[in-house]
Amino acid sequence: MIHLQNIEKVYRTDTVETQALNAINLEVAKGEFLSIMGPSGCGKSTLLNIMGLLDEPTSGSIRIADSTADRLSDKQLAHFRNRTIGFIFQSYHLINDLRVLDNVELPLLYRKSTAKERKELALEALEKVGLSNRTKHFPTQLSGGQKQRVAIARAIVGKPNIILADEPTGNLDSAMGNDVMDILVRLNKDEGTTIVMVTHDENMARKTHRLVRLFDGSQVQ
Amino acid sequence: MLMHLFTLIWNKKKQHSLVILEMIISFMVLFAVFTLIVYYFTNYRKPMGFRYDNVLSVSISLPPGSTANKDSAAQVMQTLKRTVLALPEVKGMSYVSSNSPFSMNTSNNVINHNNQEVMAMYYTVDDAYPQVLGVKMLEGRWFNATDAHAKEPPVVINETLKENFFPGENAVGKILKMGDEPHRITGVVQTLKDKGDYVASKAGTYKRAGDDAPLWLSRILISYDLNTDAGFEGRLFKTFSSVLKTSSIEIEYLTKKRVSTNSVSLIPMILLLVVGGFLIINVALGIFGVLWYSVNKRRAEIGLRRAVGASGSGISGQIVSETLVLSTFALLIGVFFAIQFPLLNLFNMPSGVYITAIVLSVLFIYILVVICAFYPGRQAAQIYPAVALHED
Repeated sequence: MIHLQNIEKVYRTDTVETQALNAINLEVAKGEFLSIMGPSGCGKSTLLNIMGLLDEPTSGSIRIADSTADRLSDKQLAHFRNRTIGFIFQSYHLINDLRVLDNVELPLLYRKSTAKERKELALEALEKVGLSNRTKHFPTQLSGGQKQRVAIARAIVGKPNIILADEPTGNLDSAMGNDVMDILVRLNKDEGTTIVMVTHDENMARKTHRLVRLFDGSQVQ
Repeated sequence: MLMHLFTLIWNKKKQHSLVILEMIISFMVLFAVFTLIVYYFTNYRKPMGFRYDNVLSVSISLPPGSTANKDSAAQVMQTLKRTVLALPEVKGMSYVSSNSPFSMNTSNNVINHNNQEVMAMYYTVDDAYPQVLGVKMLEGRWFNATDAHAKEPPVVINETLKENFFPGENAVGKILKMGDEPHRITGVVQTLKDKGDYVASKAGTYKRAGDDAPLWLSRILISYDLNTDAGFEGRLFKTFSSVLKTSSIEIEYLTKKRVSTNSVSLIPMILLLVVGGFLIINVALGIFGVLWYSVNKRRAEIGLRRAVGASGSGISGQIVSETLVLSTFALLIGVFFAIQFPLLNLFNMPSGVYITAIVLSVLFIYILVVICAFYPGRQAAQIYPAVALHED
């Protein structure tokens, strides 16, 4: 599903050059649940951003869902992300001025769909994360665990093949974290969604199929 | 997407209330400016109704007691007319009341017809008036010496008054009550814009000056040949001085009087434009600042939108569209207030002027916000999602 070949990422300023990723070769199979671990600043999020086509590697090639991501225009990349990838972030990134239902509908606004279709799909996604009774709430009225479940609903509403989760349980206590993790495991198991998750938590990582460890931008496991 | 933006702006209405208020105030000021501009332009486009480029206005003030002997004074005035008309450059001369073209004086009164009342301008002029000013008769004729002993004194009305009393019919021969005295209409003249290019023509009546009129009509209009040399004014002054030895005489060109009269009309508009201009600059800077601040505060949201499928141009378009939606909220309120002006017929101005001013103000505000939103929109489009999503 995801093929990364010889990925390098270098951040350059006038005076400093930082090697964030160094010769990363990684294959993620369809339906796999992969976790990425490593100390802070080792390049986990950079790798996830590159997989999500939010960032470009300095060198190397990326193939996602049988499409080569190189040389895609800004609009094509946006379309590709919208159709293929769902994102979950540690700090949820919900829009506080929109109700839960509107937040979940967000990815569908960038594709052709009617308001009715959007509402149906959003309700379906909220049902899957157990929040169908919170559709009219604003994010500020929810707990951290509920916010992350809304974020998961938003990630899955467009039925993407891949979900990229950047420390989805990082801001949650263990009970809430487990709830969120259970949802991700269920999504992977029941719907065959490919999931790549960055985490600091060994317990969470153990629930995934495979673990990749990074250290100073290089893959060590 | 539009509904989404409406929802977003509606949910943030408290945060945006000051910007919305600022836009409403700007809209109302713009509405006032455009109303004045449209009104002036509408008036400007109407025909002047008379010639002024070859006409001099002469003001005379006779010394006190000089008209005690009416016969002798009338003789002086007749002599004056003869002498002036004898000048080869002079084409015509007319005694008129002090509310002559481009003067600051006005004289008005209520006119009655069939129990309908109209406030109309009163002019008292002699028989030579239409020839001196080249006014255009639309119906009937100007009064003349044959009307001197008519049962009802003659009166000429302008087109505006005719439209009030006799729309679609012939006004000649009809009787008007001016004060308590009935007057018979002998003709209808094209309305003269005698208060300047930008002032609306009002309903008006022209009463015939009697034989003794030159004694109390202090203004004389003189039409002259445009090919006269620069010394004509001096020769004319000498002619007046030779007849009216102890009177004060002031000669003015109607072209110059027109310019100064127009300036008086334009001053309030210029002031309003200056005030409006400063306000618009403030509003533009305000909207620009608010949008720039908003874009910087919403970097994470913009990053998220990029992640879930928005392109750079889509983000830029969203910022501009959001501003348009925001201004639509303000404009709905502003238009509600502005529309009261034509509905309640405030300031007695044609509805079309108000409607045009509303449309122009709405367009101006929309264009302004698009310009103000363009750069912040471009800045938003350039936000790097991978960076923005990790700033929170």
